[in-house]
Amino acid sequence: MAIVFFLSVFLIAACGLIYELIAGALASYLLGDSILQFSTVIGAYLFAMGIGSWLSKYIDKGLVHRFITIELMVGLVGGFSSSILFLAFAYTDAFRLILYSLVLLIGILVGLEIPLLMRILKERFHFQELVANVLTFDYLGALGASLLFPLVLVPKLGMVRSALLFGLVNAGVALWSTWIFQKQIGPVRRLRLVAIAVIAALGAGMVLADRITDAADASLYADDVILSRNTRYQRIVVTRWKDDVRLFLNSHLQFSSRDEYRYHEALVHPGLAAVRTPRNVLVLGGGDGLAVREILRYPAVESVTLVDLDPGMTDLFTSHAMLRSLNGDAFHSHKVRVINADAFPWLEENPAQFDFVVIDFPDPTNFSLGKLYTTAFYRLLKRHLKPESLVAVQSTSPLFARQSFWCIHETIRAAGLNAWPYHVYVPSFGEWGFILAGRGQYERPKIPDGLKYLTQTTLESLFHFPADMAAVPAEPNRLNDQALVRYYDKEWRDFSH
Amino acid sequence: MTSPIKFTRRAALAGLSVKAERPIAGGFVFESENAGHAIRDRRMPLPAGPPQKKHTVIVGGGIGGLSAGWWLRRQGFTDFVLLEMESSAGGNSRSGGNDVSRYPWAAHYVPVPNKESVYVRELFTELGLLVDGEWDERWLCHTPRERLFLHGRWQDGIEPELGLTAEDHRQFRAFAGRIAELRATRQFTIPMAIGAPAQSPLDTLSFKDWLRRNGFTSPYLHWLVDYSTRDDFGAAASETSAWAGIHYFAAREAEENGPLTWPEGNGWIASRLIGKLAGHIQTGEPAIHIAKAGVKWRVHTPKRTWEADRVIYAAPAYLLPYLDPTVPPVREMQWSPWLVANLTLDRLPAEKGLEPAWDNVIYGSPSLGYVVATHQSVRTHIDKTVWTYYYALAGRDPKTARHELLSTDWGTWRERILDDLSRAHKDIRACVSRIDIFRNGHAMVRPSPGFLSNPARLGWVRGRERFHYASADASGFSLFEEAQYRGILAAGKA
Repeated sequence: MAIVFFLSVFLIAACGLIYELIAGALASYLLGDSILQFSTVIGAYLFAMGIGSWLSKYIDKGLVHRFITIELMVGLVGGFSSSILFLAFAYTDAFRLILYSLVLLIGILVGLEIPLLMRILKERFHFQELVANVLTFDYLGALGASLLFPLVLVPKLGMVRSALLFGLVNAGVALWSTWIFQKQIGPVRRLRLVAIAVIAALGAGMVLADRITDAADASLYADDVILSRNTRYQRIVVTRWKDDVRLFLNSHLQFSSRDEYRYHEALVHPGLAAVRTPRNVLVLGGGDGLAVREILRYPAVESVTLVDLDPGMTDLFTSHAMLRSLNGDAFHSHKVRVINADAFPWLEENPAQFDFVVIDFPDPTNFSLGKLYTTAFYRLLKRHLKPESLVAVQSTSPLFARQSFWCIHETIRAAGLNAWPYHVYVPSFGEWGFILAGRGQYERPKIPDGLKYLTQTTLESLFHFPADMAAVPAEPNRLNDQALVRYYDKEWRDFSH
Repeated sequence: MTSPIKFTRRAALAGLSVKAERPIAGGFVFESENAGHAIRDRRMPLPAGPPQKKHTVIVGGGIGGLSAGWWLRRQGFTDFVLLEMESSAGGNSRSGGNDVSRYPWAAHYVPVPNKESVYVRELFTELGLLVDGEWDERWLCHTPRERLFLHGRWQDGIEPELGLTAEDHRQFRAFAGRIAELRATRQFTIPMAIGAPAQSPLDTLSFKDWLRRNGFTSPYLHWLVDYSTRDDFGAAASETSAWAGIHYFAAREAEENGPLTWPEGNGWIASRLIGKLAGHIQTGEPAIHIAKAGVKWRVHTPKRTWEADRVIYAAPAYLLPYLDPTVPPVREMQWSPWLVANLTLDRLPAEKGLEPAWDNVIYGSPSLGYVVATHQSVRTHIDKTVWTYYYALAGRDPKTARHELLSTDWGTWRERILDDLSRAHKDIRACVSRIDIFRNGHAMVRPSPGFLSNPARLGWVRGRERFHYASADASGFSLFEEAQYRGILAAGKA
């Protein structure tokens, strides 16, 4: 029988430590600064356990009954602790308050457990033996938990389920205590029913754990998530709030329907309007079809070839009713051909020449994407241009990533193309930059009527760079020396800190 | 178009699960040492029939032999044949491929050649790699080039930086200073024959002893130096002539970030040379006996006898005594045993910190790390790849090491390779679907102390009557540039 008591001590101790670890890990994970979070959580928790131990002297009747009740409370509160913390972080501004309140509450309850249990058991064992055994199993439980947590629980179960699992252990100890201490408590039916209810609640939590994380995740996007899809290449999320539809790829904002016209009009028209007979147009990237929508305004355009890596994107913007309406059904036009391929090898393998090219790649956040902004890439591109063709290149922000922008400019020139940089203000992005490039010359064209943003007078202003965005020296970006990714990484890091 | 906001919570919650073990396919490739041993043991019968005549017979289709043929063709000379033992030429520049990528079976790069490497520049101009003084960026090694797994994480570049003391840093700077001084003596050139002295005090001791005598004690510096000699010579620093070791560091002063590299490594160059020699190469035709016949040479193969005015011998020098019994066995020079493994990965291991580089080295590992065959791809999305894993069996007597190389079974090598890689990639076993292994008992000649004045080597440099050696063996270390230079020199004499 003795082993059953001490197994209880072992399990209780393990549960207590797990809740502490979960609080510490979640806090450092969500707030950063793990030293601060772990120190304060451990300190608060141990302090609360001290309060619990002190309070235990005020309990003198119905020890077993109280002990079981406390077990059930620890199970319930501890079990749901990580769920509560995730949701608190996502939906409230009071994460820290809730965190330390939970830590104090669980700590007090856990601090009550062992003194009560020792008093319950003191009749059955010599005091000398009791203290030794209880403390031995208490520390053993702590060791077990501290190994289990990083090696098994977090990788296999995640934070939410780990807490719930140990809540079930607490509740289980409570339930079996109604049997092993039966003689000491008398009628136990109500207590057992409560224990079963707690177990049921925690079990339901285990089943619904994924929904809890999803609910927390959804709130990270400020607006309603109306669509989220994982493709082989990226995670696509579309949100909507009133009439504002936003597209995120791997959590990076791609456009907001409220102001994307500024971006896409500026991307397409300054260049395309200047090409005398733009029969064949190529779009690299731009799987949302918004640039194609602008291109199709020109009756002279006979074909638009869009090369985008991810069929998940182009399919979505071909078939989803609301997204189709954003690009004006661009992908249903008989002039448009969609090719799902990696742009650089596609250009290597296809000899066709184009009158106008739009390049709308993701920013050069890593060395793989950086290859799409190299002298090698622009030299290859040049082979697809006629003497009078023009290219418009999205070139990140000349304000936030000034040297990166001018590095792209320098790279295009190093590849033997002429370059005309310009920029536009897009509220959801800030100042954004583009570079027009070509083998010949560029003269400001007549801008088509009926645009929402771009007019003849605005066009001229796009090509003026204020002092804080003016050209700075930069190395060209080469495959064997990707200066751009270094600049970009540094500039966005400086900007966000 | 991108905003800088990032949410990584989900990524941190997922991606930690441990995958179960999986079966890995593969085996040994190029098990041609049986043919080699048959030649050694003179078990092959000599052919009957009248001899076929050629002015020049080139024996061996490695870079030396291919370069000799290339040079002959450039001079407008066509009366020659090149005999290759294997089913395809290439030697130490052979390559293979599968549906994931092409990959090398040995040498995988050529440093951007110095001005003095005129023949390499000439070849590279002809191959379109050097246009109007500019190197083709497509085949210069893409960023990021190298990373080193040191103290549990990846650092940029191969020269150790993490955890070095001020004294370590001082020694690295002092070492660079010493190398710069030695470079200024202009005796360390590529090809080595231009600057190498007939003998040198630096050739009387090992590179490791030279480091000690010059007060270099930093373990990190010793590691880098030992890594470099294992990488280029297949020998530990303690087994390498200090002159050769210094040559590694002092001979190159790149004008451009390099090196030049291709998915199939130097197989890219070899296959273009083979293309230029169409009609001259006889594959699957090893020389099994070479003998003088009056003023002519007779080269016997299992298929026929070739009669030639001159022989360009581009096969390994240690083989010649078995082909021509009048040549005494080579005792003074040694060849390093190597293992090359190509690992096919059908998913990429999880990475934290730096992106995968072209060359990925693990500090303190007995191997030389791995090279990513798809690194030169211009695709933005790569989810399968091939890693070429190099392992020089250095630090022990080559004969013992060779025995170990050849007597260890594939399954044991597989486990050693995966154990080694799992230091840096915990999940490697879940990613690899295939491991093919090339055991090369005599991969490269070794520049041991004394190699500059070694009589055997000097004999290869001199050649014999109308018989010219055309491999890097004559240089004492196996580099693309050396093999090419010896091939061209031999063709010039022919």
